[in-house]
Amino acid sequence: MSEKKTHEDQKYIDGLLKNNSFIIQAIYDKFVPKVINYIKQNSGSSDEAQDIIQDTLITIYNQASQKKLELTCPFDAYFFLLCKRKWLNELKKSSNKEVTINEEVLYKDDDAQELAFETSLFGEKQALFTEMFQKLGNACKELLTATFKIKSMEEVATSLGVSYAYARKKKSLCIGKLTELVQESPKFNQLNN
Amino acid sequence: MQDQDYILFENYLLGNLSKEDVIAFENRLESDSKFKESFNTYIELTSFLKDKFEGEVASNAFQNNLKNISQSYFEKQEAPKKQMRFKPWLYATAASVVLLISIVLFNNLSAPVYQDYANYDSISLTIRGEQDALLHTAENAFNNKDFAKAEEAFKSLMVLDKDNAELQFYSAVSNIELDKFEKAEILLANLIKGQSVFKNKAIWYLALSNLKQKEFDDCLEILKTIPEGADDYDRAQKLIKKLD
Repeated sequence: MSEKKTHEDQKYIDGLLKNNSFIIQAIYDKFVPKVINYIKQNSGSSDEAQDIIQDTLITIYNQASQKKLELTCPFDAYFFLLCKRKWLNELKKSSNKEVTINEEVLYKDDDAQELAFETSLFGEKQALFTEMFQKLGNACKELLTATFKIKSMEEVATSLGVSYAYARKKKSLCIGKLTELVQESPKFNQLNN
Repeated sequence: MQDQDYILFENYLLGNLSKEDVIAFENRLESDSKFKESFNTYIELTSFLKDKFEGEVASNAFQNNLKNISQSYFEKQEAPKKQMRFKPWLYATAASVVLLISIVLFNNLSAPVYQDYANYDSISLTIRGEQDALLHTAENAFNNKDFAKAEEAFKSLMVLDKDNAELQFYSAVSNIELDKFEKAEILLANLIKGQSVFKNKAIWYLALSNLKQKEFDDCLEILKTIPEGADDYDRAQKLIKKLD
Protein backbone atom coordinates (compact mmCIF):
# COMPACT_ATOMS: atom_id res chain seq x y z
CA MET A 1 0.00 0.00 0.00
CA SER A 2 2.75 2.42 0.88
CA GLU A 3 4.17 2.25 -2.61
CA LYS A 4 1.02 3.60 -4.17
CA LYS A 5 1.30 7.09 -5.52
CA THR A 6 -1.28 9.70 -4.84
CA HIS A 7 -3.24 10.39 -8.02
CA GLU A 8 -3.24 13.89 -9.48
CA ASP A 9 -7.02 13.93 -9.01
CA GLN A 10 -6.34 14.38 -5.29
CA LYS A 11 -7.00 18.04 -6.14
CA TYR A 12 -10.73 17.26 -6.15
CA ILE A 13 -10.54 15.79 -2.65
CA ASP A 14 -8.51 18.72 -1.37
CA GLY A 15 -10.89 21.14 -3.07
CA LEU A 16 -13.91 19.55 -1.39
CA LEU A 17 -12.12 19.72 1.94
CA LYS A 18 -11.45 23.43 1.45
CA ASN A 19 -15.04 24.00 0.37
CA ASN A 20 -13.74 25.37 -2.91
CA SER A 21 -16.79 26.26 -5.01
CA PHE A 22 -14.80 26.21 -8.21
CA ILE A 23 -13.77 22.60 -7.64
CA ILE A 24 -17.25 21.54 -6.56
CA GLN A 25 -18.66 23.09 -9.73
CA ALA A 26 -16.01 21.30 -11.78
CA ILE A 27 -17.02 17.98 -10.22
CA TYR A 28 -20.62 18.60 -11.25
CA ASP A 29 -19.67 19.62 -14.76
CA LYS A 30 -17.23 16.80 -15.35
CA PHE A 31 -18.32 13.77 -13.38
CA VAL A 32 -21.98 14.15 -12.49
CA PRO A 33 -23.61 13.67 -15.93
CA LYS A 34 -22.41 10.08 -16.09
CA VAL A 35 -23.92 9.34 -12.66
CA ILE A 36 -27.25 10.91 -13.60
CA ASN A 37 -27.36 8.76 -16.72
CA TYR A 38 -26.59 5.65 -14.77
CA ILE A 39 -29.27 6.30 -12.15
CA LYS A 40 -31.87 7.21 -14.76
CA GLN A 41 -31.11 4.06 -16.70
CA ASN A 42 -31.57 2.06 -13.53
CA SER A 43 -35.05 3.04 -12.41
CA GLY A 44 -34.12 6.36 -10.84
CA SER A 45 -35.26 9.93 -11.32
CA SER A 46 -33.33 13.13 -11.64
CA ASP A 47 -34.29 14.10 -8.06
CA GLU A 48 -33.01 10.82 -6.73
CA ALA A 49 -29.78 11.29 -8.64
CA GLN A 50 -29.42 14.72 -7.08
CA ASP A 51 -29.73 13.29 -3.56
CA ILE A 52 -27.39 10.38 -4.18
CA ILE A 53 -24.72 12.67 -5.61
CA GLN A 54 -25.03 15.16 -2.78
CA ASP A 55 -24.85 12.46 -0.12
CA THR A 56 -21.85 10.90 -1.78
CA LEU A 57 -19.95 14.17 -1.85
CA ILE A 58 -20.74 14.74 1.83
CA THR A 59 -19.43 11.27 2.66
CA ILE A 60 -16.22 11.95 0.74
CA TYR A 61 -15.87 15.27 2.56
CA ASN A 62 -16.37 13.61 5.94
CA GLN A 63 -13.91 10.86 5.26
CA ALA A 64 -11.33 13.29 3.98
CA SER A 65 -11.70 15.55 6.99
CA GLN A 66 -11.71 12.78 9.57
CA LYS A 67 -9.59 9.98 8.25
CA LYS A 68 -7.35 11.49 5.61
CA LEU A 69 -8.30 10.34 2.17
CA GLU A 70 -5.56 9.67 -0.34
CA LEU A 71 -6.75 9.07 -3.83
CA THR A 72 -4.69 6.44 -5.64
CA CYS A 73 -7.01 6.21 -8.64
CA PRO A 74 -8.88 8.65 -10.91
CA PHE A 75 -11.60 10.61 -9.12
CA ASP A 76 -14.02 9.71 -11.92
CA ALA A 77 -13.88 5.97 -11.18
CA TYR A 78 -13.94 6.40 -7.41
CA PHE A 79 -16.87 8.81 -7.47
CA PHE A 80 -18.89 6.79 -9.94
CA LEU A 81 -18.46 3.56 -7.99
CA LEU A 82 -19.50 5.27 -4.78
CA CYS A 83 -22.64 6.74 -6.30
CA LYS A 84 -23.46 3.45 -7.96
CA ARG A 85 -23.08 1.54 -4.71
CA LYS A 86 -25.23 4.05 -2.88
CA TRP A 87 -27.92 3.85 -5.53
CA LEU A 88 -27.97 0.05 -5.50
CA ASN A 89 -28.39 0.13 -1.73
CA GLU A 90 -31.23 2.57 -2.17
CA LEU A 91 -32.90 0.25 -4.66
CA LYS A 92 -32.56 -2.69 -2.34
CA LYS A 93 -34.27 -0.75 0.43
CA SER A 94 -37.32 -0.05 -1.70
CA SER A 95 -37.33 -3.39 -3.43
CA ASN A 96 -40.75 -2.86 -4.90
CA LYS A 97 -38.94 -1.06 -7.65
CA GLU A 98 -37.94 -3.20 -10.52
CA VAL A 99 -34.21 -3.43 -10.60
CA THR A 100 -32.51 -3.70 -13.95
CA ILE A 101 -28.87 -3.48 -13.26
CA ASN A 102 -26.19 -3.85 -15.84
CA GLU A 103 -23.53 -5.59 -13.89
CA GLU A 104 -20.85 -4.97 -16.42
CA VAL A 105 -17.59 -4.02 -14.85
CA LEU A 106 -17.18 -0.39 -15.73
CA TYR A 107 -13.98 0.07 -13.86
CA LYS A 108 -11.45 -2.64 -13.55
CA ASP A 109 -9.30 -0.40 -11.43
CA ASP A 110 -8.72 -2.30 -8.19
CA ASP A 111 -7.64 0.79 -6.36
CA ALA A 112 -10.90 2.46 -7.22
CA GLN A 113 -12.90 -0.55 -6.05
CA GLU A 114 -10.99 -0.73 -2.81
CA LEU A 115 -11.16 2.98 -2.05
CA ALA A 116 -14.84 3.19 -2.93
CA PHE A 117 -15.52 0.25 -0.67
CA GLU A 118 -13.69 1.90 2.24
CA THR A 119 -15.50 5.17 1.76
CA SER A 120 -18.93 3.63 1.51
CA LEU A 121 -18.27 1.57 4.61
CA PHE A 122 -17.20 4.75 6.37
CA GLY A 123 -20.35 6.50 5.16
CA GLU A 124 -22.67 3.74 6.29
CA LYS A 125 -21.08 3.64 9.72
CA GLN A 126 -21.43 7.38 10.06
CA ALA A 127 -25.10 7.14 9.15
CA LEU A 128 -25.64 4.34 11.64
CA PHE A 129 -23.80 6.14 14.45
CA THR A 130 -25.78 9.31 13.82
CA GLU A 131 -29.03 7.38 13.86
CA MET A 132 -28.12 5.69 17.15
CA PHE A 133 -26.97 8.95 18.69
CA GLN A 134 -30.46 10.32 18.04
CA LYS A 135 -31.90 7.39 19.99
CA LEU A 136 -30.06 8.40 23.17
CA GLY A 137 -31.99 10.16 25.93
CA ASN A 138 -31.91 13.94 25.94
CA ALA A 139 -29.64 14.11 28.99
CA CYS A 140 -26.99 12.01 27.24
CA LYS A 141 -27.29 13.91 23.97
CA GLU A 142 -26.88 17.19 25.76
CA LEU A 143 -23.94 16.04 27.84
CA LEU A 144 -22.07 14.49 24.91
CA THR A 145 -22.67 17.50 22.71
CA ALA A 146 -21.30 19.77 25.41
CA THR A 147 -18.38 17.46 26.13
CA PHE A 148 -17.11 17.34 22.58
CA LYS A 149 -17.84 20.95 21.81
CA ILE A 150 -16.38 22.52 24.89
CA LYS A 151 -13.62 19.99 25.45
CA SER A 152 -12.85 20.98 29.05
CA MET A 153 -14.81 18.69 31.36
CA GLU A 154 -14.76 21.30 34.14
CA GLU A 155 -16.53 23.80 31.95
CA VAL A 156 -18.99 21.18 30.80
CA ALA A 157 -19.82 20.36 34.41
CA THR A 158 -20.32 24.02 35.26
CA SER A 159 -22.46 24.70 32.22
CA LEU A 160 -24.71 21.75 33.01
CA GLY A 161 -24.77 22.49 36.75
CA VAL A 162 -23.35 19.14 37.82
CA SER A 163 -20.15 18.12 39.61
CA TYR A 164 -17.01 17.38 37.62
CA ALA A 165 -16.87 13.78 38.82
CA TYR A 166 -20.49 13.23 37.85
CA ALA A 167 -20.00 14.74 34.40
CA ARG A 168 -17.02 12.50 33.74
CA LYS A 169 -18.78 9.39 34.90
CA LYS A 170 -21.87 10.32 32.95
CA LYS A 171 -19.81 10.82 29.80
CA SER A 172 -18.46 7.26 29.89
CA LEU A 173 -21.90 5.84 30.64
CA CYS A 174 -23.47 7.75 27.75
CA ILE A 175 -20.83 6.56 25.30
CA GLY A 176 -21.36 3.11 26.85
CA LYS A 177 -25.07 3.36 26.13
CA LEU A 178 -24.31 4.39 22.56
CA THR A 179 -21.89 1.46 22.25
CA GLU A 180 -24.68 -0.90 23.21
CA LEU A 181 -27.19 0.62 20.82
CA VAL A 182 -24.71 0.31 17.99
CA GLN A 183 -23.69 -3.24 18.84
CA GLU A 184 -27.30 -4.35 19.05
CA SER A 185 -28.15 -3.12 15.58
CA PRO A 186 -28.03 -5.86 12.96
CA LYS A 187 -26.64 -3.33 10.52
CA PHE A 188 -23.47 -2.92 12.58
CA ASN A 189 -22.64 -6.61 12.51
CA GLN A 190 -23.28 -6.62 8.81
CA LEU A 191 -20.86 -3.75 8.31
CA ASN A 192 -18.18 -5.26 10.50
CA ASN A 193 -18.06 -8.52 8.61
CA MET B 1 -20.95 -4.79 29.71
CA GLN B 2 -21.48 -3.28 33.13
CA ASP B 3 -21.48 0.44 33.85
CA GLN B 4 -18.18 -0.16 35.61
CA ASP B 5 -16.63 -1.38 32.38
CA TYR B 6 -17.44 1.82 30.50
CA ILE B 7 -16.01 3.90 33.32
CA LEU B 8 -12.93 1.71 33.11
CA PHE B 9 -12.69 2.30 29.35
CA GLU B 10 -12.75 6.04 29.85
CA ASN B 11 -10.17 5.98 32.63
CA TYR B 12 -7.89 3.76 30.58
CA LEU B 13 -8.14 6.14 27.61
CA LEU B 14 -7.47 9.15 29.81
CA GLY B 15 -4.46 7.43 31.43
CA ASN B 16 -6.06 7.56 34.86
CA LEU B 17 -5.37 3.94 35.84
CA SER B 18 -2.62 2.66 38.10
CA LYS B 19 0.10 0.45 36.66
CA GLU B 20 -1.49 -2.71 38.04
CA ASP B 21 -4.91 -1.73 36.73
CA VAL B 22 -3.49 -1.09 33.25
CA ILE B 23 -1.93 -4.55 33.20
CA ALA B 24 -5.14 -6.13 34.38
CA PHE B 25 -7.09 -4.15 31.75
CA GLU B 26 -4.81 -5.21 28.94
CA ASN B 27 -4.88 -8.83 30.05
CA ARG B 28 -8.63 -8.77 29.96
CA LEU B 29 -8.59 -7.29 26.44
CA GLU B 30 -6.63 -10.34 25.34
CA SER B 31 -8.66 -12.96 27.11
CA ASP B 32 -12.20 -11.55 26.85
CA SER B 33 -13.27 -11.07 23.26
CA LYS B 34 -16.60 -9.42 24.15
CA PHE B 35 -14.74 -6.94 26.33
CA LYS B 36 -12.35 -6.20 23.50
CA GLU B 37 -15.15 -5.76 20.98
CA SER B 38 -16.98 -3.32 23.20
CA PHE B 39 -13.79 -1.41 23.88
CA ASN B 40 -13.09 -1.08 20.15
CA THR B 41 -16.59 0.15 19.47
CA TYR B 42 -16.30 2.56 22.39
CA ILE B 43 -13.14 4.03 20.86
CA GLU B 44 -14.71 4.22 17.43
CA LEU B 45 -17.71 6.08 18.81
CA THR B 46 -15.57 8.45 20.85
CA SER B 47 -13.67 9.40 17.75
CA PHE B 48 -16.91 9.67 15.77
CA LEU B 49 -18.37 12.08 18.34
CA LYS B 50 -15.19 14.09 18.48
CA ASP B 51 -15.09 14.51 14.68
CA LYS B 52 -18.80 15.17 14.47
CA PHE B 53 -18.81 18.05 16.86
CA GLU B 54 -15.40 19.51 16.21
CA GLY B 55 -15.90 19.71 12.48
CA GLU B 56 -19.54 20.72 12.63
CA VAL B 57 -19.16 24.36 11.63
CA ALA B 58 -16.93 23.64 8.65
CA SER B 59 -19.06 20.70 7.63
CA ASN B 60 -22.26 22.76 7.71
CA ALA B 61 -20.64 25.46 5.60
CA PHE B 62 -19.59 22.82 3.09
CA GLN B 63 -23.02 21.23 2.97
CA ASN B 64 -24.76 24.55 2.40
CA ASN B 65 -22.41 25.48 -0.39
CA LEU B 66 -22.80 22.05 -1.94
CA LYS B 67 -26.58 22.28 -1.81
CA ASN B 68 -26.54 25.59 -3.65
CA ILE B 69 -24.26 24.34 -6.39
CA SER B 70 -26.22 21.12 -6.72
CA GLN B 71 -29.53 22.99 -6.84
CA SER B 72 -28.49 25.34 -9.59
CA TYR B 73 -26.85 22.53 -11.54
CA PHE B 74 -30.00 20.44 -11.53
CA GLU B 75 -32.26 23.40 -12.22
CA LYS B 76 -30.26 24.10 -15.34
CA GLN B 77 -30.70 20.48 -16.35
CA GLU B 78 -34.43 20.58 -15.83
CA ALA B 79 -35.10 23.99 -17.34
CA PRO B 80 -35.42 23.10 -21.02
CA LYS B 81 -37.66 20.14 -20.23
CA LYS B 82 -40.23 22.23 -18.40
CA GLN B 83 -40.83 24.36 -21.49
CA MET B 84 -41.32 21.32 -23.68
CA ARG B 85 -44.85 20.76 -24.86
CA PHE B 86 -45.68 18.35 -27.57
CA LYS B 87 -46.65 20.26 -30.61
CA PRO B 88 -46.31 18.98 -34.15
CA TRP B 89 -43.70 21.52 -35.15
CA LEU B 90 -41.57 20.28 -32.30
CA TYR B 91 -41.12 16.98 -34.08
CA ALA B 92 -39.83 18.82 -37.11
CA THR B 93 -37.48 20.80 -34.90
CA ALA B 94 -36.35 17.65 -33.17
CA ALA B 95 -35.69 15.97 -36.48
CA SER B 96 -33.62 18.87 -37.73
CA VAL B 97 -31.70 18.95 -34.46
CA VAL B 98 -30.87 15.29 -34.88
CA LEU B 99 -29.77 15.99 -38.42
CA LEU B 100 -27.67 18.91 -37.25
CA ILE B 101 -26.10 16.86 -34.50
CA SER B 102 -25.20 14.14 -36.93
CA ILE B 103 -23.69 16.68 -39.29
CA VAL B 104 -21.70 18.19 -36.44
CA LEU B 105 -20.67 14.74 -35.24
CA PHE B 106 -19.66 13.75 -38.72
CA ASN B 107 -17.60 16.88 -39.04
CA ASN B 108 -16.02 16.28 -35.68
CA LEU B 109 -15.00 12.80 -36.61
CA SER B 110 -13.46 13.66 -39.94
CA ALA B 111 -10.28 15.71 -40.23
CA PRO B 112 -10.99 19.42 -40.39
CA VAL B 113 -10.86 20.95 -43.85
CA TYR B 114 -10.13 24.43 -45.12
CA GLN B 115 -13.63 24.97 -46.54
CA ASP B 116 -15.14 24.66 -43.08
CA TYR B 117 -13.06 27.47 -41.69
CA ALA B 118 -12.56 29.98 -44.51
CA ASN B 119 -14.99 32.57 -43.22
CA TYR B 120 -14.61 35.63 -45.40
CA ASP B 121 -17.76 37.43 -46.45
CA SER B 122 -18.52 39.29 -49.60
CA ILE B 123 -16.17 42.20 -49.93
CA SER B 124 -16.81 45.77 -50.80
CA LEU B 125 -13.76 47.53 -52.10
CA THR B 126 -15.35 50.44 -53.87
CA ILE B 127 -15.94 53.59 -51.97
CA ARG B 128 -19.17 55.35 -52.71
CA GLY B 129 -18.81 57.85 -55.49
CA GLU B 130 -15.51 56.46 -56.62
CA GLN B 131 -15.83 54.73 -59.92
CA ASP B 132 -12.77 52.64 -60.37
CA ALA B 133 -13.55 49.95 -62.90
CA LEU B 134 -10.71 47.74 -61.81
CA LEU B 135 -11.86 47.75 -58.19
CA HIS B 136 -15.34 46.81 -59.37
CA THR B 137 -13.96 43.94 -61.36
CA ALA B 138 -11.97 42.66 -58.41
CA GLU B 139 -14.90 42.97 -56.05
CA ASN B 140 -17.40 41.26 -58.34
CA ALA B 141 -15.04 38.48 -59.30
CA PHE B 142 -14.14 37.79 -55.68
CA ASN B 143 -17.77 37.77 -54.59
CA ASN B 144 -18.65 35.45 -57.45
CA LYS B 145 -15.78 33.19 -56.45
CA ASP B 146 -14.00 33.75 -59.73
CA PHE B 147 -10.70 33.96 -57.94
CA ALA B 148 -8.50 33.82 -61.03
CA LYS B 149 -10.13 36.92 -62.40
CA ALA B 150 -10.10 38.59 -59.01
CA GLU B 151 -6.43 37.90 -58.55
CA GLU B 152 -5.63 39.43 -61.95
CA ALA B 153 -7.40 42.58 -60.91
CA PHE B 154 -5.74 42.62 -57.48
CA LYS B 155 -2.35 42.26 -59.10
CA SER B 156 -2.94 45.29 -61.29
CA LEU B 157 -4.37 47.29 -58.43
CA MET B 158 -1.38 46.53 -56.23
CA VAL B 159 1.00 47.87 -58.82
CA LEU B 160 -0.55 51.25 -58.21
CA ASP B 161 -1.19 50.84 -54.50
CA LYS B 162 1.35 48.34 -53.23
CA ASP B 163 0.96 49.11 -49.53
CA ASN B 164 -2.81 48.63 -49.45
CA ALA B 165 -3.34 45.99 -46.73
CA GLU B 166 -6.89 45.25 -47.81
CA LEU B 167 -5.82 44.44 -51.37
CA GLN B 168 -2.94 42.31 -50.11
CA PHE B 169 -5.23 40.39 -47.82
CA TYR B 170 -7.90 39.57 -50.40
CA SER B 171 -5.27 38.79 -52.95
CA ALA B 172 -3.81 36.30 -50.46
CA VAL B 173 -7.22 34.72 -49.90
CA SER B 174 -7.72 34.43 -53.66
CA ASN B 175 -4.35 32.76 -54.00
CA ILE B 176 -5.21 30.23 -51.28
CA GLU B 177 -8.41 29.48 -53.15
CA LEU B 178 -6.37 28.98 -56.31
CA ASP B 179 -3.91 26.73 -54.46
CA LYS B 180 -1.11 29.22 -55.09
CA PHE B 181 0.08 28.89 -51.56
CA GLU B 182 3.55 30.28 -51.93
CA LYS B 183 2.30 33.55 -53.29
CA ALA B 184 -0.45 33.74 -50.68
CA GLU B 185 1.92 33.11 -47.83
CA ILE B 186 4.37 35.81 -48.91
CA LEU B 187 1.53 38.31 -48.86
CA LEU B 188 0.26 37.08 -45.49
CA ALA B 189 3.73 37.10 -43.93
CA ASN B 190 4.01 40.70 -44.99
CA LEU B 191 0.70 41.58 -43.35
CA ILE B 192 1.64 39.73 -40.17
CA LYS B 193 4.80 41.81 -39.89
CA GLY B 194 2.81 45.00 -40.30
CA GLN B 195 0.36 46.77 -38.05
CA SER B 196 -2.78 46.90 -40.20
CA VAL B 197 -6.22 45.77 -39.11
CA PHE B 198 -5.62 42.65 -41.19
CA LYS B 199 -2.70 41.51 -39.02
CA ASN B 200 -4.59 38.88 -37.02
CA LYS B 201 -6.79 37.86 -39.95
CA ALA B 202 -3.57 37.21 -41.85
CA ILE B 203 -2.33 34.81 -39.14
CA TRP B 204 -5.65 32.97 -39.27
CA TYR B 205 -5.48 32.60 -43.06
CA LEU B 206 -1.84 31.57 -42.93
CA ALA B 207 -2.98 28.74 -40.67
CA LEU B 208 -5.82 27.92 -43.05
CA SER B 209 -3.43 27.90 -45.98
CA ASN B 210 -1.44 25.23 -44.16
CA LEU B 211 -4.64 23.40 -43.32
CA LYS B 212 -5.58 23.28 -46.99
CA GLN B 213 -2.16 21.82 -47.76
CA LYS B 214 -2.70 19.29 -44.96
CA GLU B 215 0.33 20.62 -43.13
CA PHE B 216 -1.41 20.03 -39.83
CA ASP B 217 1.59 20.52 -37.55
CA ASP B 218 2.48 23.87 -39.08
CA CYS B 219 -1.16 24.89 -39.00
CA LEU B 220 -1.32 24.10 -35.30
CA GLU B 221 1.79 26.11 -34.50
CA ILE B 222 0.48 29.14 -36.36
CA LEU B 223 -2.96 28.91 -34.72
CA LYS B 224 -1.35 29.08 -31.32
CA THR B 225 0.07 32.51 -32.14
CA ILE B 226 -3.36 34.07 -32.66
CA PRO B 227 -3.78 36.45 -29.74
CA GLU B 228 -6.78 36.35 -27.46
CA GLY B 229 -9.19 39.06 -28.51
CA ALA B 230 -8.62 38.46 -32.21
CA ASP B 231 -11.84 38.01 -34.19
CA ASP B 232 -10.97 34.46 -35.07
CA TYR B 233 -9.60 33.47 -31.67
CA ASP B 234 -12.53 31.20 -30.74
CA ARG B 235 -12.59 29.53 -34.13
CA ALA B 236 -8.84 29.03 -33.84
CA GLN B 237 -9.20 27.39 -30.43
CA LYS B 238 -11.78 24.97 -31.79
CA LEU B 239 -9.52 24.07 -34.67
CA ILE B 240 -6.60 23.60 -32.28
CA LYS B 241 -8.66 21.13 -30.29
CA LYS B 242 -9.45 19.13 -33.40
CA LEU B 243 -5.90 19.05 -34.59
CA ASP B 244 -4.33 18.29 -31.24
